[in-house]
Order: sequence, then structure tokens, then C-alpha cells
Amino acid sequence: MATAVVARPVARPQARARDEEVLVWPDLVFIEFIAALVFTITLFFLSVVVNAPLLDQANADVTPNPSKAPWYLLNLQELLLHMNAAMAGIIIPTVWLIIMGAFPYFDRDTEGQGAWFNTEGAVKITIVAGAIGFFGTWLLILWDSGKIAFFLNDWFGITGGDTFRFLENVRSMQSQLPWPEWSKSITYLPFNLRLLDGTGSGGPTTFQHLDFPGWLVEQAIPIAVLVGLPTLMIYGMWRAGWVMNRRDALLALFSGFVAAYGVLTLTGTAFRGQGQELVFPWELKVSEGIPGQEPGH
Amino acid sequence: MAVESPTKPTIADKIYDKMFHNYVWKSIFRTGYPNTPRNQMLVVATNVFLHLHPTRIHRTHVKITHTYCLGGLSFFMFLGLTVTGILLMFYYVPSVERAYLDIQNITTTVQFGQLMRNMHRWMAHAMVILVFMHMMRVFYTGAYKPPREFNWVVGVILLVLTFLLSFTGYLLPWDQLAFWAITVGTNIAGSAPVLGPKTRFWLLGGFEVGPDSLIRFYTLHVIGLPLLAAIFMAVHFWRIRRDGGLARPL
Ligand code: HEM
Repeated sequence: MATAVVARPVARPQARARDEEVLVWPDLVFIEFIAALVFTITLFFLSVVVNAPLLDQANADVTPNPSKAPWYLLNLQELLLHMNAAMAGIIIPTVWLIIMGAFPYFDRDTEGQGAWFNTEGAVKITIVAGAIGFFGTWLLILWDSGKIAFFLNDWFGITGGDTFRFLENVRSMQSQLPWPEWSKSITYLPFNLRLLDGTGSGGPTTFQHLDFPGWLVEQAIPIAVLVGLPTLMIYGMWRAGWVMNRRDALLALFSGFVAAYGVLTLTGTAFRGQGQELVFPWELKVSEGIPGQEPGH
Repeated sequence: MAVESPTKPTIADKIYDKMFHNYVWKSIFRTGYPNTPRNQMLVVATNVFLHLHPTRIHRTHVKITHTYCLGGLSFFMFLGLTVTGILLMFYYVPSVERAYLDIQNITTTVQFGQLMRNMHRWMAHAMVILVFMHMMRVFYTGAYKPPREFNWVVGVILLVLTFLLSFTGYLLPWDQLAFWAITVGTNIAGSAPVLGPKTRFWLLGGFEVGPDSLIRFYTLHVIGLPLLAAIFMAVHFWRIRRDGGLARPL
């Protein structure tokens, strides 16, 4: 029987409450019809008014500045500016998708399902975690593009001089601290592992070397920030008595993610100008090619 | 019990009768408008398009504010994209020589071509946004909890497929926007440790975006990914039914 297939130790579908039910036709079918109609009409008029973009024909010799990925990938392109490319482009999104897919296996409590913000304090956690994600991401972006140091200097005349120059942004920790030579090439694999060499570099490798300052700013600090700050936030909320179970922890994590994701996407889309400089949206210009290398010659 | 005496049918009644009770119409729709609960359930259960639904559904789930129709609208975008996409396929050839000119042709000389292209483009953007918002609604209503764990996972896969569908479509106009966006995007993929360069080569059919990339993206965009997405959507919808309809409070 079908029940043999359905039966699971954890959870079965709830029993139906037939007296609470309405008919799909007409109640639901009508709503679906209206929703589809509204979207069809809206998109139809949008399409009449706004044309899809079509620039010049593709030309591998003419690089627009800035070159941008489609908007829903600009969050990753934004991350790329702040850390190691493989981490920003592949590892972080993959790990996050896996974490997100694992949500239901982490939070197995059936309480609080089936209605919006159906647990105690859910709205509060969502708003505060969202705000932290929003402002936190903005602050980090501003700091790492050197804008905070710039504002402090320009508006308040505060300057760290050469002593604190390494705090200007993440990369200045690599360039402005007196790293000893040996730290830039630490042998960590005393045997041949060509796999780590990437492709096409030719010739046998003998050892793997670690550029410690580079590793610190490209990987260690970004990971510490990405894992540490959310952990700190959830821990703080737990200490404050807001986060009391796994659902609450996920609420904080997911809300922080949505806010950070939104800020990253928005920054990448509207605030990154030529050379991926941080600019205001109204200053955003795209040069259609390398200057002096006009197409068609 | 008072029995109404039959009145003479009006002209409107006669037209209605001619239109909806004739032989041909009845061969298509075997019954008239379902105006009793029994017939309304039957129509949902027996109609090939409607039987995705249960015949009855919990009162709270037809409130717009419960789902905001986001999942349904994501699916509707998928359908609309299929229709407009097929129309675009009539005119578009995925070769470096023709792709750009074909898009130009579609927007200038093809009847309603510009409209179809615009609809396809804006629906694609809308779908990405709607799917993401649908995920948010599912999360904040706690609807991923048991027994719906696996359907959430299927959802995450659908989210990735939606991104990929949109991404592969982005190259097809073969203009500067497309070319460089895909260059940037596949560079991101190429940066993956160990497997990155291989993946990028496999995606592009070469070391940079070129003719082979176009045909690969095209094939994935018009058949590979839609097929996969359709399969996962079928599972997604089936699971909703199997898991006892939408989640509701205990
Ligand atoms: C192409 C993308 C998708 C389509 C077409 C789709 C479609 C739908 C539809 C029509 C429903 C019925 C209720 C509603 O409309 O909200 C639904 C429910 C559901 N979806 Fe999706 N969905 C998609 C993506 C996702 C994603 C990205 C997730 C999560 C990561 C997800 C998880 C779920 C879950 C768990 C339910 C059950 C909700 C409940 O019981 O209240 N889906 N989906």
C-alpha cells in the first residue's frame, strides 16, 4: 500500500481538516488566473515601453570598462574585489547553497511552520539581523575600498599617518606592514604535487610555497569575517535571550544573508564604475572600449 | 415547493445555448460550467491542466498574503518564457555570423519581434526575482520543516537552474553586453580550485568565448536546462501534494 511508502519515523503529512477546506475551483483557480493576468498585462506594457538592450556586436578586442556579469551575479563580482577569486566566485556560493539546502536537516522542529513569522520574536530577529547584515556589509565595502580612511581624513582631518596606513583596507595589511622576506615564501609541502600548480605552467614543481601576507588578506581575513561575524551575531542574540532554538538561529542567519546579498548585488550593479571604483549611481559611466582602441579601424 | 413555470427563452439564452451546447463544443468540454461542488471537484480532478491541484485546499492557503502566489508566478514565468522563447527560436541561429544580425532582425523587421524579445527578457528577470522571493516566503513561513525537507532541497536546485537558465540566455544576442558578461561570469567559474579551468573550458568549448561557446550555451538554454528544470518542477509540485499540501500550523 501507498502508506508503506509514505511512512517515515520523523514526520508524516498532517491529517486533513476537511471542514476547514475550500474548493480549488473556484477559490484558488480564480486567484491564479488573476495573478497570471496581472503579470501578463504588466509585463506586456513594460515590454511595449522599455526595449531590451542591444549594444554593438561582440568584439573580443574591445573591452568595455567596467565589464560586468549579469546583475544576479554581481554580488559575486563584488566579493571578487575583496578576496581570492576562487573563494569569492566558487567556494563561498557553493558552500552557502549547501548550507541553505541543509536548513531543514538542521532545524527539524515542526513548530512555527505554516504562517509568517510564527515563532516568538521572529520579526524582531529578522529586522535586527537584516539591519546588521545591511549596514555591516556596507561598512565592510566602504572600509575595503579605502573610503572610510578617506572620509576620516577629508571630513574630520583625522589621519593615521604612516603608522596606521595598514588599516586603510584589507590589502594594505599586505603592502603596508613590514613583513619579513621569509614570510612571503613559506614552504609548506615538501613534495611534488603538480595538481596545485594550475594548468599550463609547465615544468615540474618541487615545493609549494605560501605567501603568508597574501594568504592572510586574500583568504584568512575574508573567511574569518564571513564566518565570524554571523557567528558573533547569533551568539550575541543567544546571550541576549533572543535566539532560543535552531529556528531562531536560522532566522538570524538567513535574514543577514538576504540583506548582505541585496547590498552586494546593489553595490555591484549601481555603485561600481570604471575600474570597479566605488561611485554614486549617477556618476556611473561605461566606456565602450579601451581608450584609443576604437572598433572598426 | 413552488415549481417555476418555464419562461420563453430570450435571445441571449438562445445564443448561449447555440454556443456552448452544440456538438463540437461538447466534444471538447464534456460538461457545462461546473456549478455544484461535486462538479467543481470533478473538473479539477479530471482536467489535465488543473489536476496538478488537489480538489480542495485549506482555507488559509487561498489567502493571497500566505504565498503571494510567488511559486505559481515563478512557474507562470517559466511557461511564458517557453512560449516567447519558441517564437524567438524561429528567427535565431546560434552562429557567430548570424546571431547578432538575427537579433537585429527580430527587433526591426519581424512582426511583433521586438515585443517578443522584450517579453522574453523582462520575464527572465522577473523569474529570477520571483523565485528568490518565493524562497524567502517559504523560509519565513517555516515551510521547509518536516515533512517538506526534501522539497526545500528541490527548491534550492530549482533556484540554481533558474540562474543557469538566465545566464546561458545572456550570451545569445552576441553583443558587447552578452560577450563581456559571459567572459566575466565564466572567468569566475574558471577560478575554482583544481576543477575550475577544466570547467571553464568545457563550458566555453575553448579558452575564450567564441563560436563553440555560443552553440553550447544555446543548446543548454533551449533544451538541456529547461528539460532539467521541468523535471525538477514536476517533482516539486508532486511533493507538495505528497507532503500534504502547503504547510500549516500544528
Ligand atoms: C523555478 C522555481 C520554483 C517554482 C516554479 C516553484 C513553485 C512552487 C509552487 C507553485 C508552490 C506552491 C505554493 C506557492 O506558490 O508558494 C511551491 C511551494 C514550495 N516551494 Fe517552490 N518553486 C520554485 C523554487 C523554490 C525554491 C528556490 C525553494 C526553496 C529553496 C522552494 C521551496 C518550496 C517549498 C518548501 C514549498 C512548500 C511550501 C509550503 O508548504 O508552504 N521552491 N513552489
